[in-house]
Amino acid sequence: MNYIQTLRTAKDVVTPGMSACQGCGAELILRRVLQLAGQNTIVCVPPGCLGGSGVVGWDYQTGMEIPVHIPLLTNTASYLSGVSRMYQRKGRGDVNIVCVAGDGATADGGFQSLSGAAERNEKILYICYDNEGYMNTGFQRSSTTTLGSHTSTTPLGSVISGKEQQQKYLPLIMSMHNLSYCATASPSHMADMVAKIEKGLAWSKEGFAYIHMFSPCPTGWLYDIDQGIQIARKAVQSNFFPLWEMENRKYRMTYDNKKPISIADFVKDIGKFRDLSEQDLAAIQSMVDDRYEKLKKLSSEADCNE
Amino acid sequence: MSERKHISPIGQEGLYVLDTASWRTHRPVMDKNTCVECGICLSYCPVNSIIFNDENKYEITYNYCKGCGICAVECPKKSISMVAEGGEDHG
Amino acid sequence: MGEIKAMTGNTAAAVGAALSRPDVIAAYPITPQSSVVEYLSDLVHNGSIASTLVATESEHSAMSVLQGVASAGGRAFTATSSQGLAFMYEPYYQMSTMRLPMVMALVTREMISPCTVWGGQQDAMSVRDAGWIQLYAENNQEIMDMIIQGYLLSEHKDVLMPVNVCYDGFYLSHLVERVDIPEQSKVDAFLPAVSFDHVVLDPLRPMAVDSLTSGEVLMRYRMSHLEAMQKTLDVLEEVDEKFYAAFGRKYGGAIEEYRCEDAEFVILTIGAMTGTARDAVDYCRDNGTKVGLIKLRYTRPFPQQRLIKALAGKKGFAVIEKSVCYGWNTGPMYVETRSAVSETLSGLSHFSAIGGLGGADISLNHMISVIDTLQASLNTPGQKQTLWLVKE
Repeated sequence: MNYIQTLRTAKDVVTPGMSACQGCGAELILRRVLQLAGQNTIVCVPPGCLGGSGVVGWDYQTGMEIPVHIPLLTNTASYLSGVSRMYQRKGRGDVNIVCVAGDGATADGGFQSLSGAAERNEKILYICYDNEGYMNTGFQRSSTTTLGSHTSTTPLGSVISGKEQQQKYLPLIMSMHNLSYCATASPSHMADMVAKIEKGLAWSKEGFAYIHMFSPCPTGWLYDIDQGIQIARKAVQSNFFPLWEMENRKYRMTYDNKKPISIADFVKDIGKFRDLSEQDLAAIQSMVDDRYEKLKKLSSEADCNE
Repeated sequence: MSERKHISPIGQEGLYVLDTASWRTHRPVMDKNTCVECGICLSYCPVNSIIFNDENKYEITYNYCKGCGICAVECPKKSISMVAEGGEDHG
Repeated sequence: MGEIKAMTGNTAAAVGAALSRPDVIAAYPITPQSSVVEYLSDLVHNGSIASTLVATESEHSAMSVLQGVASAGGRAFTATSSQGLAFMYEPYYQMSTMRLPMVMALVTREMISPCTVWGGQQDAMSVRDAGWIQLYAENNQEIMDMIIQGYLLSEHKDVLMPVNVCYDGFYLSHLVERVDIPEQSKVDAFLPAVSFDHVVLDPLRPMAVDSLTSGEVLMRYRMSHLEAMQKTLDVLEEVDEKFYAAFGRKYGGAIEEYRCEDAEFVILTIGAMTGTARDAVDYCRDNGTKVGLIKLRYTRPFPQQRLIKALAGKKGFAVIEKSVCYGWNTGPMYVETRSAVSETLSGLSHFSAIGGLGGADISLNHMISVIDTLQASLNTPGQKQTLWLVKE
């Protein structure tokens, strides 16, 4: 069965009407992850765009057909550690223990609990949808926000313009926790994303599995609502968001980029980069090239998913 | 409904569903003459508004479609066009 | 009678926890709590108990792990102190508002600054409005017994709230006393396996836990929580009786009265200082002073009706505390005690006494000075100046 056949038969367990923006990358990610996880799943969606979109329900109603909880911004991985341990004790280790969390809940406030759970190798699939900021509270910067980005806490000013720091590259940090499985994925490369979600679910029965997903955000990034997949694709093609996975401690590029497009090409239609200086653009390009080279050196195999 | 106890905050009285179709300013319309049934549109729809129907065809549904237009942009055959709401009903 | 052993308060807490058969123990080290979890870790690693141990990277995560455990239907235990409690405040509060049962040993310690690692009750008192049941033990036997009782209370269908068993850091945590260890079979009969199911994360029974909630509905949950807290005042007395029937030890429920019957006035104490206060009362009684003692065992729920009864006909009271209440220039339980007896307050002489902060000793002389000061003021009703129990 190819990935489209898989998707067209996999039941959507999320409410059909949720308040994510038009063209939201995170909504796409949430639905795909939970379609593949299926009914035998417990999911946590911490505060953030998805947590606030109605998928955890309203008053006495629920937002999903599977058990769902909104943990704290800061404790998703540790909360799920407890759930996972109890399901191991009950002899029900077949239940998928999953979260779909934003970059703030993952890389910033939630990082301590994430790192702790990863180090303990808790049996969880942790999905981070990285839209590079606190979009639900009004597009503030996070540690994964790219240099030069215009956000509501890194505004374009006459003295300082945009974010002054490079982004934190979380997936590689996570992989160094001796994880069972670690990968990056982009919704533009859906076959690869589906394969990685399936692997992540399988590996989460052995230990901690982490997938860092590129989540384009029309509202915060200021691009046309129909362009999300185009932007995600260019993020991969420019090596801004390289696709790789680590399995059995072996790193592998899953998209071998023979002819990368430039970062200038990637950022040109994205409003949050509209006043990027030449220096910033060069600095991002240099960081991206350097990171890609490092990842290639880590990778042991050349074969790719697509 | 038996009397609610209000112990733990739990939601189990049906699904909370928003009328997201009302957000739509443009609706995607599929040209079945040029569609090659590849399913790319289904794979990218953030709302899962595109289904694989009983006749083994891909079909756009409009109950929750927010009208983002990703399907129209991604369709390799350009078989989906965005049509302004308020005109003729294609649903 | 079970096995008799000499042990520290921390060991007593650990043994009490082990006897209660928790599914998961999660904790992070902090002085003076650490040996509770070290003891339990030994038991788990030697296969003596079947609990799962999760050594987390922080107290914040320890409480979060246990929240996951309880919301999957498990019995949970942890222990912490002071800064650890402060760090776990976020999931600590949510544990009670999610109405999840568990027991936590709170080995009370002063809050910084200045830097200190020693005793006090400021940590527990600072979270008195976080929706937990809070009780204080006087000695190591009571620590062990109340951990076991705590689970029965916490999981009771009319309660469904987490319980703090508080006891004085160092004064009890590191003090060796004789303890009568209940037999496992008797504990099993007293404390049945977990059966609460008012909330659960289970694919076989899907529900949303903590859906976004409007203010009108949220208030229903708060009303129900507050009502359950009041109901707990009855349940804790039943649990005390039930424990007496099973193990032959009785603590008096929410408060314990000592030589109060014919007392002209009383002092109120919390935790380990009560032992010293008993001696002070005996000493003053021998010298003809008609003083009684009320040991405040539960602070949440606050035993208003029992205090009204116990203070009826008395001429005065002083509340001795190892914590402060900013904004009142007194201790916090003094404020609550005078509020409890507000209808008869105008005829009483009363004041707050504060001591034992940061591990300082509350001596027999301190206790006697409180009694003497109160006695000297009985003929002039009203609040007296806060008495600080410092070295002369």
